[in-house]
Amino acid sequence: MKMINLLTAEAKMMYWSLRRYFFNTVAMLVAMFLIFMGLFWGVKSIGGTGISGDSLDSMLVGYILWVSAMLALQNTGTEVLSESQRGTLEQLYLSPMGAEKIFFGRAVANIVFNLIFITAMLYLSMFTTGRWMSINLPFLYGMVLLSTLSLVGISFMLGGISLIHKRIGAVNGILSFGLIGLMLLPTYPVTPYSFLPFIAGAAVIRNNAVSGATYPLWWYLFVAANSIVYLVLGLSIFKVIEKKARRLNKMGQY
Amino acid sequence: MSDSCIQVSNLLKTYKDITAVNDISFEVQQGEILGILGPNGSGKTTTMKSILGLIEFDSGEILVNGMNIQKERKRIIADVGAILEGARNIYWYLSPRENLAYFAGIRGIAFKEVKDRADYLLENLGLIDDADKEVREFSAGMKQKSAMACAFIHDPSILLLDEPTLGLDVEISRTIRNWLTEVVKKEKKTILITSHNMDFVESTCNRILIIRNGEIISHETLESLKEKFARKLFRITLEKEPSIQILDSLDSIGNVSCDGNTVSINLENANQIFPLVDVLKKAGVKLKDFRTEENDLEEIFLEVIREKTQ
Repeated sequence: MKMINLLTAEAKMMYWSLRRYFFNTVAMLVAMFLIFMGLFWGVKSIGGTGISGDSLDSMLVGYILWVSAMLALQNTGTEVLSESQRGTLEQLYLSPMGAEKIFFGRAVANIVFNLIFITAMLYLSMFTTGRWMSINLPFLYGMVLLSTLSLVGISFMLGGISLIHKRIGAVNGILSFGLIGLMLLPTYPVTPYSFLPFIAGAAVIRNNAVSGATYPLWWYLFVAANSIVYLVLGLSIFKVIEKKARRLNKMGQY
Repeated sequence: MSDSCIQVSNLLKTYKDITAVNDISFEVQQGEILGILGPNGSGKTTTMKSILGLIEFDSGEILVNGMNIQKERKRIIADVGAILEGARNIYWYLSPRENLAYFAGIRGIAFKEVKDRADYLLENLGLIDDADKEVREFSAGMKQKSAMACAFIHDPSILLLDEPTLGLDVEISRTIRNWLTEVVKKEKKTILITSHNMDFVESTCNRILIIRNGEIISHETLESLKEKFARKLFRITLEKEPSIQILDSLDSIGNVSCDGNTVSINLENANQIFPLVDVLKKAGVKLKDFRTEENDLEEIFLEVIREKTQ
């Protein structure tokens, strides 16, 4: 129940923030809409009538995947930094729930809100263009949430580094671009790349969108295990670095 | 069993070759307001943050409500509220009510459970009419009162307030002071305050701890501090300017200075007031005004610091 109250608080915080910075929220939605429209019309103009529906679907799925991955990857590091700059970080550490649960709740709220926006803008784009896609959204979102948990784990590692070193924008940039390349690597059946975070889950999502590929149950369990291992690893590293930050009195400093 | 809510024993914290807190020990009793005074960099904030578990100390022990901060931090902070110096403590882009809901939520408490308390805090801190405005629109005093409300939202029994009146005007400081003393009386809270605002500490705290260079140099009740550093200065205004003979007679009782018809005399003890009155009576001098002057906390603080420096 306590965790539900925390998640509710984070969801409300997200809503208040979007409402308060209304102009930015509208701009973000417009940008999302324009990207979707660009994908629809861009593909049409390049491929003409010969373009297959599948490649447009896969581009849209690729976009959703990339946005969610970036959010998951950068969330905790960015949040630690902005809380530190705002002068509210130490107050989060005065919660008996623990700062890691707060940042986890924030990451989940962030990803869920963005998926809601993406869905709304996707449907608006489909309505505008009159071209309706055949993406299995429940499957897509389920898999996105499951596989991005591994990136939330990586984000916690970055969040830990941010506690000590504060600015880590450059590291975020390297990892974000690195991830795009890594997502093209083969992962099924098990290859060394399958053990990297997120890659296996991303491949499942992409292949399902492109060719309707399905996988045996053990592979979905593998993706889930991959996410859980990275999440636990990330949280553990975050706790270790947090201890160091306490020793150095770096918590409230920026 | 001890009535201590907070027990700090032999606390030591160093940063590389700087000793921020050097082997300090003190206790805070239940329902007490303890003030920590000290020059900048004396170790006040490090002590506060160590009690909150925000800083890992090198050695010593801190017990809060009988629990060890290093072992049971989460249980301890569930019953502690704090305002930290130099930080905003709350979100300025939210309203006080939204801040209250958020800080209750991240403590695992649903806002509906604390709604009445939120209204009580907003009402008592004079924020109710602005409860839905953004905090960033507020004055420094209103912002601090909003932060104070958030620190109290989960009804903690212990409050740690690091410089709660820093940069605030006299009126707001007084409001906060009155509110804190009332809360302690009514709700039996235990409060630890650090402040540079001597008036605030003097009128709020039961006991005062003075820290310098990470060490406790004085730890007494306000009364005993005042007694110890009491200045027995009597300022007497006479009807007319006193003669040299009168001044000579008074000088044999205590250290005298004269400015027109006002005589200031420093006595070693208050009993010497009787021979003083006798001298004036014999000389037939009439008194217009008679005042004793006490050291205020600021002067006592400076005197303690001076005494320990020598």
